[in-house]
Amino acid sequence: MTLLELEGVRKSYEDEDVLRGVSFAMDRQDVEVIVGPSGSGKSTLLRCVNRLTEIDDGAIYLDGEEIHGIDENDLRRRVGMVFQDFNLFAHRTARGNVTLGLTAVLGLSKPEAVERADDYLDRVGLADQADSYPAELSGGQKQRVGIARALAMDPELILFDEPTSALDPELIGEVLGVMRDLAEGGTTMLCVTHEMGFARSAASTLTFLDDGRVVERGPPEQLFENPREDRTRSFLGQLTDLER
Amino acid sequence: MTDGETATPGSDPTETRGTTVGDLPGRRRLAVLAAGTVFWTWLLARWAYHNSLLDGLFTALGFPDLIRSERGVRQREGWIPAEPFGAAADAVGTVAAALGPAGVLVDWLRWVLDLAAFATTTAPALASGAFVTVYLTVLSMLFGLVIAVPLAVARVYGGRALRAVSLAYTELIRGTPLLAQLFFLYFGLPLASIAEDVGFTGQPPIPRAAAAVAIVGFTINSSAYQSEYIRSALQSVDPGQLTAARAVGLSKFQGIRYVVLPQGLRFAIPGWTNEFVYLIKYSSLAAFITVPDLFRQARNIGSETFQFTNIYVVVALFYLALVLTTAIAMGRLEDRVAIPGVGQSGPRE
Amino acid sequence: MGLALTGTAALGVCDWAATTGNPPLQTGDWAFVVGNWEVLLLGTLVTVLLTATSLALGFLAGFPAGTVEVYGTGRLRDAVSTAGVLLRGTPVVVLIVLFFFGLPIPRLLTLPVLDVRLDVFLAATLALGFRSAAYQSQVFRGAIQSIDEGQLAAARSVGMTQRQAIRHVVFPQAVRRSIPGFQNEFTIVLKDTSVAFAIGLAELLTRAENLYLQPGRDTAIMEVILAISAIYFVLTFTTNRTIDYLGDAYAIPGGDE
Ligand SMILES: Nc1ncnc2c1ncn2[C@@H]1O[C@H](COP(=O)(O)OP(=O)(O)O)[C@@H](O)[C@H]1O
Ligand SMILES: [Mg+2]
Repeated sequence: MTLLELEGVRKSYEDEDVLRGVSFAMDRQDVEVIVGPSGSGKSTLLRCVNRLTEIDDGAIYLDGEEIHGIDENDLRRRVGMVFQDFNLFAHRTARGNVTLGLTAVLGLSKPEAVERADDYLDRVGLADQADSYPAELSGGQKQRVGIARALAMDPELILFDEPTSALDPELIGEVLGVMRDLAEGGTTMLCVTHEMGFARSAASTLTFLDDGRVVERGPPEQLFENPREDRTRSFLGQLTDLER
Repeated sequence: MTDGETATPGSDPTETRGTTVGDLPGRRRLAVLAAGTVFWTWLLARWAYHNSLLDGLFTALGFPDLIRSERGVRQREGWIPAEPFGAAADAVGTVAAALGPAGVLVDWLRWVLDLAAFATTTAPALASGAFVTVYLTVLSMLFGLVIAVPLAVARVYGGRALRAVSLAYTELIRGTPLLAQLFFLYFGLPLASIAEDVGFTGQPPIPRAAAAVAIVGFTINSSAYQSEYIRSALQSVDPGQLTAARAVGLSKFQGIRYVVLPQGLRFAIPGWTNEFVYLIKYSSLAAFITVPDLFRQARNIGSETFQFTNIYVVVALFYLALVLTTAIAMGRLEDRVAIPGVGQSGPRE
Repeated sequence: MGLALTGTAALGVCDWAATTGNPPLQTGDWAFVVGNWEVLLLGTLVTVLLTATSLALGFLAGFPAGTVEVYGTGRLRDAVSTAGVLLRGTPVVVLIVLFFFGLPIPRLLTLPVLDVRLDVFLAATLALGFRSAAYQSQVFRGAIQSIDEGQLAAARSVGMTQRQAIRHVVFPQAVRRSIPGFQNEFTIVLKDTSVAFAIGLAELLTRAENLYLQPGRDTAIMEVILAISAIYFVLTFTTNRTIDYLGDAYAIPGGDE
């Protein structure tokens, strides 16, 4: 069943066309991984989905409903987001980061929110860090709080924008571990990531975006083993080389 | 007038009223702390001793003479007798006379002793002036803050019109002298008579109309400076914070309210301390619109005794005590509300 | 004595303000302001002059003081920083009256045209100037400290002495970085010259008061004060923009980071 559908999405800044007609659809419980060179428009694409950025042309449907017909705060409650540089609320503890949306947006009472927050922090393995402030956490821990914060809102879809690129190599594993668990548990995820191991093993579909267009899209094995486009081959080849 | 939208590069984006009092060298800091405690104990006791509300309370309890609010400011006596200092000064003076020109140091000691004697006799009047100074400052800071927060938010997050209004207000207030502003409010506008009509009659504990006008003036003035500190603090909050708040589904208002302001106001505390200290000092200008504050008490004593230099030295020390203790207390507050990674205190990442 | 004079004057006007309320702005009062433009011009000149002398003194004393606070040691440094705290912790009006009454400045001549007593002007300059020095030293200290230690090390590594390194590497950058702080200081000093009102110095605010204290002119208080406020505003605003412009024109690319 289709959860998210993009139809000819276009976006430009001044005279720079960042997205030049992007279309694809993903089902519930899909894990869609997007790869592409820096500046190809991946972040912009994600931000269009929760309307942190407004598109110029085209349409985006969430569960059959055009997202511009949905109240933006409502939309964002239904679509979670995990940021490259975490963006944890610096003045709140790990728990406080998770509870803010629960109380201010979902209207939960404080005790309910705390209970739920602790539950989600436990799921990402941070039950014992609930009272720590962001400045007291490692990068990997911060990102897991970021994931718990998004998850706790019980979204229909979560957007991941390069969640591991700001991490030291030894901390990447713990975040990918959490993401794998989510994928296996049936969370619908739209991920921009260059972690090829994760893409191979967890993605249901892999999309190669270049210069604001979808160059190639398909099951990960197909794109890795025999891509149709040369550009896909050379780009994925570079990434896999880097991994070794 | 387009400064401010983009913060000036460099260390300090705000046009401020200058840097803090600054840290005293190590041991002197401790001395200030000890002296400050003694000073405030004395000052609070002095205020209580002449407080009409407390007087009413204790009279009702059967101690009519414990609190002396009925005594006029000039009739109040010091608690430390002046005579020993005076006598010591005279004795030292004789020695100095005997030493002749070589007695400069001794002569200086005599002056210090004289000054101490003078300080003890004038202290009660100064204490009553300090009370006015403190309430002018504290009330104006708080009222000013109430205006400054929306002003700063409008400046950073408002639309074109709101931004322009906020900018014009702060630029006009900060571009003209405080004393001119006070004169405008007090002599130029009929504010004083309005204040009197609404009940600022000067019957204790209600302040006089002039004091009400001074509070209005200081509030307006201080709100402009406070809003600059808060604005630059808001701008120093990482924009990703608001983005993240919006991504969770908070409205822009909620994002500012729950995420940006709690961080921004913490960043603003050092600036706020600065402004507090500034207002303590600048509240002395209220004397020129007849408010009986610390400086005006000193000035009155000066013109009665003709000991101008002495009284102004004493009142300078008085202000220093107020300013330094405030700066230290605000430093404590800052430590107390500090959160790791937010604001000046706490470990950096 | 200036002090006594302004005191009684203030009281007199207070009684008036309390009893009669205030007539609205009148064209006649604006004509009065315009008619006295020479008085206001002289006042403005005195204000500008006092700002200039005070800032200059503040710079001459504040610059070395800031240097001592960073590189100095022992007694000297303690003395300088304590003096700074004393000057920054005392209200400017107290400093002005203290310098006026406390210093044995002999009664000097009165400047012609400007009609300013030189001893009064001197007292105001010393008070405003030393206080400004106390703030300028902090500006300069902060600027010096903001310069990356690595640059000093690099200068030493090419064979410069500590003194040379400070002179040729640290100072030139620190001076540029001080511009916003000095600008700020300029605005403060300009506005605070009005406090010399306390010792009857004939600067802009004092002259304004003299204008509306003339018999029958108490209706013009609001107009006169608005007019001088506008003058102060134009002075701060134009000078600030000019310094902004100079700062941009002489900026070093990336030199602010
Ligand atoms: N807010 C913006 N204003 C102007 N240009 C932008 C903005 N956001 C992104 N861009 C431009 O859009 C292009 C794509 O950016 P982005 O979506 O972040 O790429 P990616 O995430 O794939 O690296 C870049 O050239 C970037 O400069
Ligand atoms: Mg990106």
